[in-house]
Amino acid sequence: MLSKWSRAAHPWVMKILGRDWVEYIASNTMNVVTQKVDPFLWTYDCKAEVVAIRQETPDTKTFVLLPNQHFKQPLPGQHIELSAVISEGEKAESRCYSLSIIDENTVSITVKRNPEGKVSNWLHDHVGIGVVLNISSPRGAFIYRGQEKLLFISAGAGITPCFSILNALESTAKRPDIAFYYRSRTPEETIFRSQLESNKVRSPVDISYSRSIEPDDRVNVMPNQLMDAYPDIKDRHIYLCGPDAFKKEVLSFLESIEYDFDNLEVEHFVRFNQDLTTLRKLDEDVTVTLKSQNISFVIEAENCDQTLLEAAEKKGIHLEHGCRSGMCGTCRTNLVSGQVSGNQLGKTIYPCTAYPASTQLILE
Amino acid sequence: MPHTEDSTEKRFEDIHQAFESIKQKHRDDLGEKDVRHITGIRRYSRVFEVIGRGLIWILPGPFALLGVPFLFLHRNLEAIEIGHNVLHGQYDSFEKIPQFHSRKFRWKAPMDEAAWRQEHNGIHHVHTNVYEKDPDLNHGFLRTNSKTPHNKWHWFQVPIYLLFVYPTMLYNFDAQNLGNNDKFRERRFPLGNKGYATFENTEELSDADRNKRHQRAVWRVWVKEYALFPLLALITGYGFFKVFLANLLADVLNNYWIALTIQATHLTEPLQPEEALRNKGKWYISQLDSSVNFKGNRWQSVLWGHLNYQVEHHLFPDIPAHRYPDMAIEVQAVCKQYDLPYKSNRNWWQAIRNYIGVLWHFSFKDAKPTTEELCYLKQGVENVK
Repeated sequence: MLSKWSRAAHPWVMKILGRDWVEYIASNTMNVVTQKVDPFLWTYDCKAEVVAIRQETPDTKTFVLLPNQHFKQPLPGQHIELSAVISEGEKAESRCYSLSIIDENTVSITVKRNPEGKVSNWLHDHVGIGVVLNISSPRGAFIYRGQEKLLFISAGAGITPCFSILNALESTAKRPDIAFYYRSRTPEETIFRSQLESNKVRSPVDISYSRSIEPDDRVNVMPNQLMDAYPDIKDRHIYLCGPDAFKKEVLSFLESIEYDFDNLEVEHFVRFNQDLTTLRKLDEDVTVTLKSQNISFVIEAENCDQTLLEAAEKKGIHLEHGCRSGMCGTCRTNLVSGQVSGNQLGKTIYPCTAYPASTQLILE
Repeated sequence: MPHTEDSTEKRFEDIHQAFESIKQKHRDDLGEKDVRHITGIRRYSRVFEVIGRGLIWILPGPFALLGVPFLFLHRNLEAIEIGHNVLHGQYDSFEKIPQFHSRKFRWKAPMDEAAWRQEHNGIHHVHTNVYEKDPDLNHGFLRTNSKTPHNKWHWFQVPIYLLFVYPTMLYNFDAQNLGNNDKFRERRFPLGNKGYATFENTEELSDADRNKRHQRAVWRVWVKEYALFPLLALITGYGFFKVFLANLLADVLNNYWIALTIQATHLTEPLQPEEALRNKGKWYISQLDSSVNFKGNRWQSVLWGHLNYQVEHHLFPDIPAHRYPDMAIEVQAVCKQYDLPYKSNRNWWQAIRNYIGVLWHFSFKDAKPTTEELCYLKQGVENVK
């Protein structure tokens, strides 16, 4: 816990000087004394201080974080990895959280309490204003890429990255054609409901409820009725984020209407645990082609139990990656042809946790 | 033994392995000793800083000069034995000293760390003494071989460097690392950068970014030396200019010291062929051929940042420098075994005289051509046993 004085000073320092100047001054005055005086500013690590907490719904809180100078300005839709030692003496737990609100000096994460979750419970019960968290710099590819027609499909706490992209696009001069579909259990459990229903959001927002029906004229759209609600769905780039079951439902619906999966962005944070014994080991060499880098490499038969990322690294080929456990999505790429086993979502595969399953693989 | 293509190749490979095994031996030995060395040097540096600044602050008038040698020691240790070696990544593998990791370290010298790491580690140490490739052959506009076209500036290169460039050498390094020197030659020299290495900036910095980085590197030193400490003296009732001038003197001494250390261990003829890079054995030989040591004891070597072991430094730039005196014995043994050049001057003074002789020689337009044929790799390995 930081002293009252430094807590009061941090937002002010960050606002007046900005991260760039704070980095310059702090790094050039780093020594044992300054590191003791203020371990938030005089540090080599990326940290964030909790400066405000809002209760969004009965089981969801928004934590407003003031990151220190090692944090890079995020793009809407990106996430951070938060790591914390929950119980003393144990290893630090880490989780990814999308940034729900991005301001000039602060960012927010909106966390739904998961009854079995270690980190979400800890955040809800033990983290108050002034607590300093260890976070990563923002990363992830769930970002807006200048498309003209968009459809956001989210459910539960999966609204966070979509909400942050929506907010950013609402304030731009040339706003694309946006449709926003959000599924929640009940009106009370709807995150950012007041913001979504305020006049500031000009794009059409449809909120549907799985547990209760609103007594208004709005149609309660089920995921399998998306086609009726959005007849031009096939022309729209879809951003999908939500619980696994919801995502599967939407994905199978999209498959049924032969939606072009190249236009789909999925956010996916579940730690991937592959049981290696179930892995069917190939007994032939595998040729992997990376279209974007225009290179191919061969994974020898005896190395087919390695992940695609490991195999590529062994050949000296650099693939972008982050957590190496299928969480952060940094390495994610699309399969053009061939098959993989392990971590995949439709055509999207995670090279850090996916294994070759056919002798020819072409990746985007 | 008659020399065939195969036996020459094998010889290069043997030489490569011989040096690699020295490197590996010291890599395996990295540990507490290295951490103790660098943290110990930092402690000395702090003590010297307190004594130096204290004396300069409180002693009246010319007596404040007594503090200058201590301040010089502080700035010198920080600049080379700590700064230069840390930025080579020599201490990157020790987790408990993040302040000495090359990407986290901040130099108490007017130099941009990221640009220096790229230019010095990535270019000078790779293409040592390669014409139009190694920026340290010129350090600005020096003409150190007959291939570089002569112009009117070169007539005066010895006095210009001794009087003006060396007292501000570190500032000049920063300009070189960020590519600002290239701009100067482009503007002022009739043939522009012909004959000089130009720096290709991998960060793709714009002119504005480059200037900003240069300013930031310089001002962090100037604010401390020429504003903060003089002002502190002033508001506590001591003299502003006394502190200002003493700090200026320490700054100039530090620049001069480093300039003479670095230049005296390079600028040895001959130029090296660029192809050496393609064969690891040849690369080691070209490094041997383009550096020269000078002798000094352990404590003196610390003050030179161990750059008096320039040969070892160029062979193993990322091994902690305090190991070079030990490595030198092993390197000499390998050189003897394979009949490789191992260049050394008796002392610093001789090293300085030698290289200023080179600068003098090439300040004349009709200087006798460089002896490129003297390059060990060009003499043909067949001619040596």
